[in-house]
Amino acid sequence: MNGFGTFIRDRREELRREDASFSLRKVAERLGIEPSYLSKVEREEVAPPSERTIVNLAEILDQDPDVLLALAGKVSSELVEIIRKRPRLFGEVLRELREAPDQAVLRVVREVRDGEW
Amino acid sequence: MIELQSDSLVFTFPDIHRAAKLHIDFQRTLRIPDDGREYPLPPGLGRFPLRHVDDFGARVPGRWIQHGGVMLPMYQSEALWLNFSSWSDYPFAVKIATGLINAVTGKGWENELQRRPQDYLVVPTQPWLDGYCVKKGIIRQFVAMPLGAGYTVEEQLTDAAEHGGLQIVAYPMKAEAFEDRFGGPAYFARRDALCQLSSLRPAPDMGLAPGGRMRQEIYDDPFPFDEWDTGHRSRCFVHLCNSLTWRAITGSEAPTVPFTSEEYTRLGLPWFEYYVEGVEALEGGDVLAGAKSVKELGEEKGDNPLPENVSVDPTHIVELRKGLKEGQVREGRF
Repeated sequence: MNGFGTFIRDRREELRREDASFSLRKVAERLGIEPSYLSKVEREEVAPPSERTIVNLAEILDQDPDVLLALAGKVSSELVEIIRKRPRLFGEVLRELREAPDQAVLRVVREVRDGEW
Repeated sequence: MIELQSDSLVFTFPDIHRAAKLHIDFQRTLRIPDDGREYPLPPGLGRFPLRHVDDFGARVPGRWIQHGGVMLPMYQSEALWLNFSSWSDYPFAVKIATGLINAVTGKGWENELQRRPQDYLVVPTQPWLDGYCVKKGIIRQFVAMPLGAGYTVEEQLTDAAEHGGLQIVAYPMKAEAFEDRFGGPAYFARRDALCQLSSLRPAPDMGLAPGGRMRQEIYDDPFPFDEWDTGHRSRCFVHLCNSLTWRAITGSEAPTVPFTSEEYTRLGLPWFEYYVEGVEALEGGDVLAGAKSVKELGEEKGDNPLPENVSVDPTHIVELRKGLKEGQVREGRF
């Protein structure tokens, strides 16, 4: 579907090989969801879960929440709020940086901007 | 390109040379007495905090966004000095202005370098700048005053309170010239201490005005002018805001007010003299020499803008010479 289910199943299985607490049932328990639902999410038979569950899952699986949200086709509500406050500016920034390599993006994030004077 | 790192502006020119890296920070300091006497260099009391204006877009004046750059908090009549370091001895030509008035010549802002009369400093030959160059070997200290009150150099020389703040443009030496000339250790320095609280009145936007007289030379460019890479430059507008505005914009407190010169001297803490041999000092700007100090102008206006302005006699003076080791700080014994 979107790779989210496969990704989290692979990661959970990788951790389970070292630690039994990463079984499907125990991870579902920690997330407060039914094991059958987590199983369907992993097999991509249902849509990815809520933002909150994904963020919790990211913590359990030691993954970046923004990356997991992106795999699930979502953007964190925190980022949405940031863009919503200044939509035009951030729209321009994101379009401008769409093709830029990571290093260039990092540079722009902290560069002191020169203006008109 | 310019980045903010630990309250320091870091100018880098990776396209020119990987060693082309200039650090500039803004040091809190004592305001020296504005009494016509000539004082040695006061200490550094730590860096002013710096923030990107863009990080507070909704809360800063629109013209700050237009200018770009960074901002720092100052109390009225607080002083500052600029601390330059070039970690690899890589030379830079640096122009400094306040309210778009050049601090070396007193002329209006131009991006380009001018050799005669020289309108820029050479780093690392020049490790610090404490004020306006009013005469050979003498500067008048940078002192913050509210923009619009008539004290700033900008207002005195242009009759307008339009820009305020502090402006910087830096040009690196050409890479080939650097490779041909350099490779030795860096020298730079200066001074640390403490602070203490007092209360001062607010103003929305600050500019810099000429304060007391201080012994500091602005050095003549020791390099051939064509060794500067005038095709590459980085500029930064540094906005100054009073402490209340700073708190409203950033949500954090400005640093506390420094010692007065009287308190500092009474405690026997050190003042400084700096010497570089074999380099000529610039004459200073005639226009700047004609600007009135905050105290002089205050008297004309029937105002008392400097409530703490007692003359002092520094007895503990530390002499510094070019050749300080890397990382050595201009500081005294406490």
